[in-house]
Amino acid sequence: MPEYKISLRQLMIVTAMFTVGSGILLVPSGLASIAKQDAWIAALIGVLFGFGAVSVHLLLAKMYPTKNLMQICETLMGKWIGKAIGLLFLVTFFLCGPTTVLQEIGNFVTIQMMPETPIEAIILLFGAIMTLGARLGLEVLARSIELMFPWVVFLFTAMTLLLLSEVKLERTFPVFEFGALPLFSAALTFASVVFFPHIMLLMIYPASVNRPEQAYKAVYIGSLFGSVVLVIVIALTILVLGPSITAQSMYPSYMLAQKISIGNFLQRIEAVMAIMWFISLFFRLALYLYMIVAGLSIILGIKNRQALMLPAGWIMSTLAVFIYPNVAYRQSWDAKVWVPYTLVVGVFLPMLLLGLHGIRKLRSRKSA
Amino acid sequence: MWKASVLGMKRIGALFVLFAFLTLLLSGCWNRRELNELAIAVAAGVDRVDDRYRLSVQVVVPGQVASKKAGGSQAPATLYTAEGDTIFEAARRMTQVSPRKIYFSHLRMFLIGESMARAGIAKFLDFLMRDHEFRTDFYLVTTKGATAEDTLKIMTPLESIPANKLFNSLQTSERVWSPSLTVTLDELINDLSNEGKHPILTGLEITGNREAGETPENVNAIKTDANLRFVGLAIFKVDKLIGWLNETESRGYRYIKGGVKSSVAFVPCGDKGKVTLETVRSHTKVTGKILGSKPEIEIKAFVEGNVGAVECRGLDLIQTKTIDELESKMEKKVEQLMKSVIAKVQEEYKVDIFGFGEAIRRSHPGFWRRHKEDWDDRFFPNLAVRIKVDYHIRRTGTLNNSFINDMKE
Repeated sequence: MPEYKISLRQLMIVTAMFTVGSGILLVPSGLASIAKQDAWIAALIGVLFGFGAVSVHLLLAKMYPTKNLMQICETLMGKWIGKAIGLLFLVTFFLCGPTTVLQEIGNFVTIQMMPETPIEAIILLFGAIMTLGARLGLEVLARSIELMFPWVVFLFTAMTLLLLSEVKLERTFPVFEFGALPLFSAALTFASVVFFPHIMLLMIYPASVNRPEQAYKAVYIGSLFGSVVLVIVIALTILVLGPSITAQSMYPSYMLAQKISIGNFLQRIEAVMAIMWFISLFFRLALYLYMIVAGLSIILGIKNRQALMLPAGWIMSTLAVFIYPNVAYRQSWDAKVWVPYTLVVGVFLPMLLLGLHGIRKLRSRKSA
Repeated sequence: MWKASVLGMKRIGALFVLFAFLTLLLSGCWNRRELNELAIAVAAGVDRVDDRYRLSVQVVVPGQVASKKAGGSQAPATLYTAEGDTIFEAARRMTQVSPRKIYFSHLRMFLIGESMARAGIAKFLDFLMRDHEFRTDFYLVTTKGATAEDTLKIMTPLESIPANKLFNSLQTSERVWSPSLTVTLDELINDLSNEGKHPILTGLEITGNREAGETPENVNAIKTDANLRFVGLAIFKVDKLIGWLNETESRGYRYIKGGVKSSVAFVPCGDKGKVTLETVRSHTKVTGKILGSKPEIEIKAFVEGNVGAVECRGLDLIQTKTIDELESKMEKKVEQLMKSVIAKVQEEYKVDIFGFGEAIRRSHPGFWRRHKEDWDDRFFPNLAVRIKVDYHIRRTGTLNNSFINDMKE
């Protein structure tokens, strides 16, 4: 059976959803605590950083249009070192990326909506549908993202429009009050949450796209769309809530939705708005799981990757319950470990691979 | 053929098992709260009693509100109070008197007792912000001359639930008369955490006979014995109440902050007559400037209004000259309103409730960083404020010249 190849349109929407992913819920607070009222500028700079990283990924994809990340590793580093690096990458990413996002969903629901519900129940339910989605494979995921995408766009647009009456422009002043340094460190945080994990998408494009030579367009447009959504959300938290409250809150974007109140009847619809990030988080998680398992099955040479899905999903859900002992741990982890880690896997790893590619080329030219 | 049907049977069986599991999962969640298990709080108040918090919560009695026949035997709302060393403790201790757990998501008003306000409000605000049940869309006010608990006991006509009456009358008075100000939790927190502005809350007092106000008789008579009234604004120094603005000063404050949607003011005309003008919209721009080494504030107000009532003879409203004169009188009046409140706060209280410091911070962050420590003591009391009001009269109601002009002498 030939492997299903997704269309460029699907790749674009997958990238957009992956970009919006967990950032929509997690990014505003951290950014505002570093860059204060300039958080939106920091986000814009972060988008630039991110596009730098994505262009490195795309360059790598251009060199090997029929291979995915794991196969590229094996080709360039040799079979065993390639496999070892790949395995290390997948396992650490599995622990730091999707597992923590899954716990974050549990945290979000227990903090904002149902404090007495055990977090295990929420993680189990979410983990179950995530595993189901990943097990059904890329084709189903890509098509369902296509179906859900308009809803996310609709909810996001509705939220933005309904909040326009609450916007106070003066909250963004003074611009550059604290100089450039916090802006760059905030921008790096933004890129590390939103863009550096895009390295994982190399498991899907170029090899699983029907027109790999055009894939870069779809990835750029998708990333751009996701960035626009995130920058708007961050700007809205600053414009509506102000930098202090954004920085103090766990989930400022949820508070943003709580602020919606049009004429005393269109109000208290934050739970509806929460659907938006449930959808985007679900797809980010399902894609993560799919890509990690796909990579693992290549490294281990397992033909039937479906067999790995259920155990991987199960392990992830179990780990998600206790991966962070408390929320303060998460916050210091995100600040101290996550940024350097994603820099290594999302920027240095592809650069290393490109370097190796260059050396190989030189050598083969010499020998020829 | 036979094999296929067995396969089909198996499928159906598996589906049944799946559905059975689904019903287990979907039947509800741990946190389900049925409507009849909730005590919906609509107003809450906190007082300081001997260094402890006394929390009073006004809870809707659903049966009394839902019943179509007017005038049930019970009051439409009931009040629970509890004390605690922390406010959260007080809120939970309330279950000792309330049959149901209090549900705070539909809170409309939060009353801060004057004693509490004078002692400092920051300590309990964190709980309101941190607890997930509180939204940020309720209004906070300070009681004046009474405890929050007593204020919440008053029965009110028209709106049977007192919290609703407070919510609506605060909103309406902000909109059409403008001495009061709706402040939501996030705005208050912003005022407390941002530099260069001290918070302000609307005051609430009980008028008339307090004891009579607590009985249903209060709403049985046409003229109620006691009522709840919003009175001017409360001035806070950081989180402590230090004084009050009266009604006129409060309106001046509202003009400075901008966004007066509607208000009424009069200017004299002829001898002893008055022309009342209705403001229909206004916006204000406050900019900070540094002249030499001194900060200066410039307030530019743009106000639009209509002629609402004329009391004097000989006012020719068809002439643009008359309108121009009225406009310039009105400009002076609004300017005076603003000036008097600024002068009073500068002299008496010396706290920047207008956000002038914030305006300086926004325009001159460098100056602000150097001087923010002594802003309230050194700069604010002597701050030069230049006010420019631009009043435009657009229409004169359904009449042009008054019948008073043609009235027989």
